[in-house]
This record gives sequence, C-alpha cells and structure tokens, in this order.
Amino acid sequence: MPEYPVGRTRELPEGSHHIVRAGNREIGVFNINGEFHAIPNLCPHQRGPLCSGATSGTIDYGSHTDWKLSWIYDGEVITCPWHSLEFHVPTGRCIAYPSIKLRKFKVLIDDGEIRVVV
Amino acid sequence: MDRKGTQPIAAERGTQSPARATLETTFIVDVDVHVHENPSEMAEYAADPWDVALREIAKVDERYLDLPGMSPRAEYRVPFPGGSNRPQIVTSAKTMWAELRGLHVDRAVLFPDHLLLLAMVRDPRFAVELARAYNAWLHERWLTEQPTLKGALVIAPQDPLAGAEDIRRYAGDRAWACVYLPASGVRPLYGHHVYDPIYEAAVETGLPVCIHSVEAVYPTFPFQLEVFQTSMAQHCIAHPFAMMANIVSMIETAVPVRFPELKIGIMEAGVTWIPFIMNRLDKEYLERRREVPLLQDRPSHYLREWYFGTQPIEEPERRGDIVKIFDLFDGAHRAMFASDWPHHDFDHPQYVFGLPFSSEVRSNIMGGNAARFFDLDIPSEIAGA
Repeated sequence: MPEYPVGRTRELPEGSHHIVRAGNREIGVFNINGEFHAIPNLCPHQRGPLCSGATSGTIDYGSHTDWKLSWIYDGEVITCPWHSLEFHVPTGRCIAYPSIKLRKFKVLIDDGEIRVVV
Repeated sequence: MDRKGTQPIAAERGTQSPARATLETTFIVDVDVHVHENPSEMAEYAADPWDVALREIAKVDERYLDLPGMSPRAEYRVPFPGGSNRPQIVTSAKTMWAELRGLHVDRAVLFPDHLLLLAMVRDPRFAVELARAYNAWLHERWLTEQPTLKGALVIAPQDPLAGAEDIRRYAGDRAWACVYLPASGVRPLYGHHVYDPIYEAAVETGLPVCIHSVEAVYPTFPFQLEVFQTSMAQHCIAHPFAMMANIVSMIETAVPVRFPELKIGIMEAGVTWIPFIMNRLDKEYLERRREVPLLQDRPSHYLREWYFGTQPIEEPERRGDIVKIFDLFDGAHRAMFASDWPHHDFDHPQYVFGLPFSSEVRSNIMGGNAARFFDLDIPSEIAGA
C-alpha cells in the first residue's frame, strides 16, 4: 500500500491536527498525547469536512465510564463542523452511533517524518 | 404514481440514472437561508429614537441568536467545550452568495437571524421599527447588491396594520419573494382575525406568506418548553409544534377560505409531521364541522395547497421512508429544498438530491416548486431545459 509523506513531527505538536493530502484523499492527521492518528477528512453523515472541526472531550455514560456521567476522551474527540457528530479519533468510533467506525490509516514516523499508509 | 396520477414520486428500480443530473446541472432554489443582522448598520435605516436603541444594542456582545435587546431569548444550554467550530453566521451578500454557490444553489430566499425572535419583542413600536429598519437595510445592502438573493419581508406581528403598510410599501418590488411571519412566541396565533390586514396586503401584492419559527422558551403556546431539560428536547418540539399550532389556528378560522388567493409556506420544521396534522385535522373535522362551517372541504385538502421547506429533513434509517412521507402530503408538488444555511442544522443539497425520488420529482423539489411558489424569474437556459 502506498505511503505518503505528510509533514514533520515538529510541525504537529501534541493537541494539534492538520488536514493533508495523501494521493487523492484528504486525511486528518492528529497528535494526541504524542501518538499520531490518521482518519478521513470526510464525515459519513453528509460528507462534511470532518477534520476541519475542533478537538475536545465529550460527555458520555456507560460501562466505559463505570456508569457515571463523565467528561472523557479529553482532546481525543473530533466534532464535525457541519452537524456536530462526534468521533473518538484513537478508535475511529462515532460516539452517537457506535456501529459507525471511521477508517484508521496507519501512520509511520521515520526520522521525524510523518508518513501515512493508504 | 402520485396522487394526481401524473408522475411516480419514487425512482423505479432500474430506471434511475444518477449520472444524468448532478447538483451542478440542477436548478436549485434554497428557500431558507439566514442573514446576520448588523444593528449598527440597521440604525442608519431606523427612525428616531429607535436608531439610538439599535446603536446601544450594537455595543452588546452577542451569542448565537442571542442578542439582548433584539433577540429576547432565554438560553438554558449547559456550556461544555467542543462542538461545531464552523462560523454559523453570514454578514454580507458577497459572502453569502459565494457560500451558496459552493452548495450549488442558484437562487435563495433570505430570512433573518435575530429577528426570528421578533414576535417576542415586548414594545410593539420597537418591533415595528426593527422590521422596517431590517427591510430597508436588507434591500439596500443585500438584495440590490446580489439580485439572485431574494428577501423575506419582515413584519412585526405585534402591529398587523403597520405590517400591512410595509407590505404595500414594497408592492411590485421583485427583490422580495415573500412576507415572513415570525412564529416563535407569537400570540395570538396566525389564524386570528387581527392578522387579516396582513393577508389582505399579501394577496393584493401577490406575495406569499411564510411562517418560520425558532427554538425558544417563552410563556406562550406551544413554547412553554421549560418543561424540558435539554436543547435536544426543546429543539425537537419547538419548530414542528409551532407550525402545527399555527396551521390548526389558520384552519379553524378558515384562512384558506377567507383568502383563497393567499399562498402559504411553512419553513424549517422538517416534513414528517405534515401527514400527521393533515389526518388529525380531518378526523376532528368529521365530527365537529359545525364549529368551522366556513370550511368547504376537509382540512387536508386545503393544506395540500400549501408549500413546505424541507429542512431540517428527517433522516430515517431506511432512506426510502422519507419518499413515502413526501407522497402523503404531495411533496412532489409542494416540497421546496431548504438548507437553512449557515445554521447549525443546515441540510446540504446533496442529501435531498440523493434521496430516491424520480428525476422529475427531484427537479421539482430542488427548485421547480419554489420557482412556482415564489414566482421567481428562471433563467432562460434553465427554463428551456
């Protein structure tokens, strides 16, 4: 599978994300707590530019919060700017519709260069 | 086949040719987009002493559809970080047109932002002047500058005689597409005889009236939404209940009978409730006709002549279900694409365009029905297509 260089790690500090082009795809590349993630810049709802949204945490409730209303995933949630659908970037999971998962692209770091495998 | 037996509303299997029409090649009228008012600029068009009040309002920090003095809205949302970071206001005709062209929209009807809450302004004199200043500002700064943008003429329901006067002031001016009736918090509802002068003026000038609501908590039916705890609940109820309340009011006083030439549009309430209220009214009419003797026919027969903006269109798991809903209110001839751009719940035209309608019905919904309802000039290259 082709690899595309999409920037240097120093250009993507923790807590930031960029939209890059990899072949004919637009991809959002995120640095979340020092780990790099890549997801499509395309919301599966109405095809909005998902990764031009802002990251934050979110409120959730379930077994993963020990059944307590909690503010979780701080800095790990991207919200689509079109209709506010939220996705957990590290897993690609849609918060509102867990059956929907974004494709996660493999990210390679090679001597400070970020490469995305698509 | 549809109700009139002229065209299938749903695409027939194997007959659809998605490659034939695209958003780019389709004439799209967006019947509901929103202009962000500039109180400071509006002050230049306002009479003394209301211009002074508008300049005071311009000094106040505003939030989304929440500007003290101009949009009296109680905001109950609990604030958390995050959410959409998209700008949800548009402040100039140039920007609006560029953004709408990005959505492949060919014509649009402009409704206000803050004045969505106009019916809740307590001083009727100020409400009238807000409407007048807005209309004058919109005409000069938006409609004249970009003629593909058409205006919804704002009237203050607090003073229907003043509203009728404003409608007649612009009689014959093709910059206006319709008269806008603010529904959020309005009292009495639009079936009341106090509004007859507005309907008379609308018929006289040939302008349709369009009712448009907005989410708000307010002590008038059906806006006593403080019983809900979340915006999710309030917003779910606010728009469709406001429309149903006003529709029922207009049917019980027989507005369509008393003003048979009045064209009526319903904006920003989605579509799935329309068959419900038609059938509910018909059921009540059956037993209680003597209370509404002006009606010459069952209520749904009148409502089938009204027009409905599509936004925020419901998104059932089975997309074909929405086509069935459209069939129940003759959406093939009465539904008009609306985006609600640039608001939080806008619909991209691609979604409505991509629903499994037949190509003719899709063309009607995306632009043809609106062109007929608003009597829009259609470019010859499109009219001849």
